[in-house]
Amino acid sequence: MSDGSMLNGQQAPAGTSALLSKARYGVVVRPPFYRWSDGRFASDRLVGVDKNSLASLSGPIDVVVEGDFVGVVADSLALATDAAKQLKVEWRTVRQAADKSPAKMPVEESHPPYASASHAYGWPSRMRWGNHPSWVIADYSDQQLSVWGPTATPVALKQDLSRLTALDVSQIELYSAVNNHSTQQASGLGRHCGDDAAVDAALMSRAVGSPVAVWLDARYAKDVEALGQAQRITLNADLSSDGEIARYRYQQANLTGEVAAVGLWLSGAAAIAELTEFPSGDNDTPPFSPYVFRDQYLAARSQPASLTTNPTLTGIQQAFARESFLDEVARESEQDPIALRLRHLEDARGIELIESVAKRAEWQRPSDQPADSLPRQLMRGRGFAYSQLPDRDQRVEAGVRSAWIADVEVNRITGDVQLTRLVVGQDAGPDIDTARLQQTLQARVLGEARPFLGHEPRFDEWGDGSRALTKHESSALAPTTSSPTIYSPSASVAAVGEDVLTGAELSPGVAVIANALFDATGLRFRQPPFTANRVRQALEESAIEGSGRPSKPVKQSRSTKRRWLAAAAFTTIAGTAAMAWPWKGAIAPVSRPAANLYSAETIERGRLVAAAGDCAACHTSEGGVTNVGGRAFETPFGTLFSTNITPDEVTGIGQWSYAAFERAMRHGISRDGSHLYPAFPYTAFAKTSDADLQALYAYLMAQPPVAAEKNTNELSFPFSVRALMAGWNTLYHNPAPFQPDPMQSELYNRGAYLAEGLGHCSACHSPRNAMGAEKSGGAYLAGAFVDGWEAPPLNTLSRAPVPWSEASLYDYLRQGESALHGVASGPMAPVVAGLGELPEYDVRAIAHYVAAQMQAPTGNSDADVAGAEQRVASAALSAPELEAGERLFEGSCAACHVASGVPTFSSARINLALNTNLHSDHPDNVIQSILGGVHAEHVPGVGNMPGFADSFSNTQVADLATYLRARFAPEKAPWQQVEQRIADLRQPHHNNTHSTP
Amino acid sequence: MTLKLTINGQERELAVPPQTPLLNVLRNDLSLNGPKYGCGLGECGACSVLIDGMAARSCVLPVSAAVGHNVTTLDGLAQNGQLDPVQQAFIDAQAAQCGYCLNGMIITVRGLLNHNAQPTAEQIRAALEHNLCRCGTHVEILQAAERAVVINAVALEEAPYE
Repeated sequence: MSDGSMLNGQQAPAGTSALLSKARYGVVVRPPFYRWSDGRFASDRLVGVDKNSLASLSGPIDVVVEGDFVGVVADSLALATDAAKQLKVEWRTVRQAADKSPAKMPVEESHPPYASASHAYGWPSRMRWGNHPSWVIADYSDQQLSVWGPTATPVALKQDLSRLTALDVSQIELYSAVNNHSTQQASGLGRHCGDDAAVDAALMSRAVGSPVAVWLDARYAKDVEALGQAQRITLNADLSSDGEIARYRYQQANLTGEVAAVGLWLSGAAAIAELTEFPSGDNDTPPFSPYVFRDQYLAARSQPASLTTNPTLTGIQQAFARESFLDEVARESEQDPIALRLRHLEDARGIELIESVAKRAEWQRPSDQPADSLPRQLMRGRGFAYSQLPDRDQRVEAGVRSAWIADVEVNRITGDVQLTRLVVGQDAGPDIDTARLQQTLQARVLGEARPFLGHEPRFDEWGDGSRALTKHESSALAPTTSSPTIYSPSASVAAVGEDVLTGAELSPGVAVIANALFDATGLRFRQPPFTANRVRQALEESAIEGSGRPSKPVKQSRSTKRRWLAAAAFTTIAGTAAMAWPWKGAIAPVSRPAANLYSAETIERGRLVAAAGDCAACHTSEGGVTNVGGRAFETPFGTLFSTNITPDEVTGIGQWSYAAFERAMRHGISRDGSHLYPAFPYTAFAKTSDADLQALYAYLMAQPPVAAEKNTNELSFPFSVRALMAGWNTLYHNPAPFQPDPMQSELYNRGAYLAEGLGHCSACHSPRNAMGAEKSGGAYLAGAFVDGWEAPPLNTLSRAPVPWSEASLYDYLRQGESALHGVASGPMAPVVAGLGELPEYDVRAIAHYVAAQMQAPTGNSDADVAGAEQRVASAALSAPELEAGERLFEGSCAACHVASGVPTFSSARINLALNTNLHSDHPDNVIQSILGGVHAEHVPGVGNMPGFADSFSNTQVADLATYLRARFAPEKAPWQQVEQRIADLRQPHHNNTHSTP
Repeated sequence: MTLKLTINGQERELAVPPQTPLLNVLRNDLSLNGPKYGCGLGECGACSVLIDGMAARSCVLPVSAAVGHNVTTLDGLAQNGQLDPVQQAFIDAQAAQCGYCLNGMIITVRGLLNHNAQPTAEQIRAALEHNLCRCGTHVEILQAAERAVVINAVALEEAPYE
């Protein structure tokens, strides 16, 4: 425990944000070229830094230079980022002639007739740190170093930091913002780039003498790429005619595990350590293999340059290469993978274990279900892997044997891999509580599977947000509730090795999934991680090459798989093309996808996406069938009708392929190639993530098809010429997907994703220019008129009598009313109804985002509440002397809108003195409410006001509106030309009250 | 889609569009004709019913709004064959001409007494301000309301924890 650090004692819930308030911000400037390759680190050399290039920036900026390491430290991340961009740095190129790129592991093809096999397997030096940016903070002071940030390899990180600072590891404290599974992280799959960020932060903190925060985001992916492979294992085998492996050759390039952090290499600290601490060649241990071959050669080269060892990781790497290779040999020579292994196994216990596991897992039963029970977007596969590790004294008999069988489901569209079943048999000596072992293994296995089977929470994730809150909010700016975990200072490599459960039994974990993936997809992944992105890319590549499944027996659904992959590839090409020029070819019609094509989960996600996008609000006519379209929109350019988005093949989108659907959503081009008008907010929908769009397509296609009558738009020339939209799009449409803002919290980015994209708030709430394009900048969310209603400003121009707060916005969006503002009515009522389908977290996120646009506080202050009470009280006392209006008000409104002192069930709960509409510069919403009433149909108990269109003349409505303005918004100027406005707005209204019994 | 309502102490399950005014459901589907259709705009009070003991204008209230609440109509006011004190007071005071508004008057006074068992004459007038009577029996109605306060107090004393 360190007490010397000024940042200590941060277990308080304030968490990272408290740290940040004391920290300065660092951004590194990496050389144009740096690379770890073949056990060597090479980079461009620093010639000089011109600090005068920062003269134009205000505020204290420190430039940190150590060896080839360059960093900039400033008082804000924005300033540091600017400075890093602006800093003139001169590098001397020492680029190697042949820039080998060993990280690329191509999907190789087999070459029958089959006699020999040769494959190489890699292990990356760095895992990516998810898609989630987070802070890494280091504080170096008084011979103490404290580091806050995510790390999967605390031991290795401490060693790096110790080398960097020459401090003893006992003087270094690591605090993790991720508070769970610290032990599993410790036995993880290797380092991720959070360690590089931590070393950068520590280096800069030592140089400037204050805590330094580094933003760990996509920029560090460059380090992942540069560090390449930590491990490369090449395997060769020659087969005899009966399929037995006659000759087996195993070559491991690097026996000891992990590559030091980039900052360590650049600053030169790593090189010094290498010379002094690590005499080479001492720890050459031949790798162990449980199998016996007639002719075998096993070799592992020891690399002194890799500074830390991690036997757990080494075991996993070796088992991954060996077990993947045997699986490949078996598949390519058309043998059963388990049978092949048994042929080369002499260890009786191991044979027994494998046979019992195979039996328990029903290995022989085909993993393919009949085609009708498996949704067509899914591919299933089953894999096997085995390992046996000797114990610490290299006694093979006493070692641990472990046999695994895993089933996976791969979604061919998204690349998601689900580990659906796992059977693990473990032989761990005589004194093991098998139940507990089973339990531990399950937890470890599944826990272990998560990081590389890639389900990282992200801005387009649907759910209750609880995970994002517990796991990631703590690492962003917002306050956290979880106290950081402190890695025990006594933890060491040896201690990890002591645990019999940690070493051997995890080794087959990666291989078994790689093998199952191959069984499912026909693609061999020879380097982890197997994230959804990588799997999807590999699937798309193999589809483009037209060489889908080389050695996989043909399955029933093969042809459909092909078609799907082809469609996915086409989408990408179409997307690129449409961005580059006004591309408007038709996309060939397809027959409607089968109802069982998509999983229930995908369709459910799509339902939420549809609710967030509120498709039905526009695509349903008054009293019509949901999503059949036909709703008329009055625009300055003429009347537009919404279209049928049910999967009807003639009048709806039944013949739309996903490619066509995505093009419409992102680029506003219909399947037939004609342009859509931006009344359809594709300008916002373009920001939607791929996964959400796919789910939305799945959902819409799963709905019952309904035929609709075609409505003809009535647009004036030249707006009736759809092709002109091509030019409009180049001017006003940006089809780039949503990019989260690293300076903002998880909650904000989620809210921004929903509000700017699916929620398309700005489609109504931003004014449009003369060409019908949304204005941006200061006019973003500045309020506009839609369909006869005013969509009030959602930025600082808000006219609400009591200022909005984030809490009020949340109430309004979730419950349909805010006690300090009023109810959601008009076109906003169905929006609130749609939001009712969403998880609470999402609505909170939208409220958070909108509050940020309004610069609104989190909650309303006591002064706000007192002000509201004051308004209500004064409106009750001072009635203006407008006789006609007052009579109408007393007769028609007062029964519900004036408090009689006795509570009633049907009265308006929110006083008109707080109503935003009465305080607006425009009377439109008040007139609409009087004429049509307030019907929050979908939100029970909110706003049930009859319309008075049939009871009041225009003059009466005008009298009433004028009276309401004078009484409830006395500080505002009276509205002008109210009666004319009423005449304009009255047209669409019929009797909205219900008929007599 | 069916809605579950509790009306006059009975659970009712109804297949009606959720936006139907509660009044229509009470009168047409359940034959509870105590509440009357007057203006249809929530102005006159003839349609009043009690929801959770509070007066509500059932002509402007969608039936879905009553789900999960206790609805009491004039028809369900009497308990065990015993008229509600407010009903008894209106009979005693003969406070009716055509009687069309009386449902609203009785329900509103009942709602008032539920909230305040000892209202002043001023408070009674305020509570009844937005219940319209076209026959001009306001004086009798106010007398009836005042009498209801007394009878109600006696009834409460007899069975205070009913």
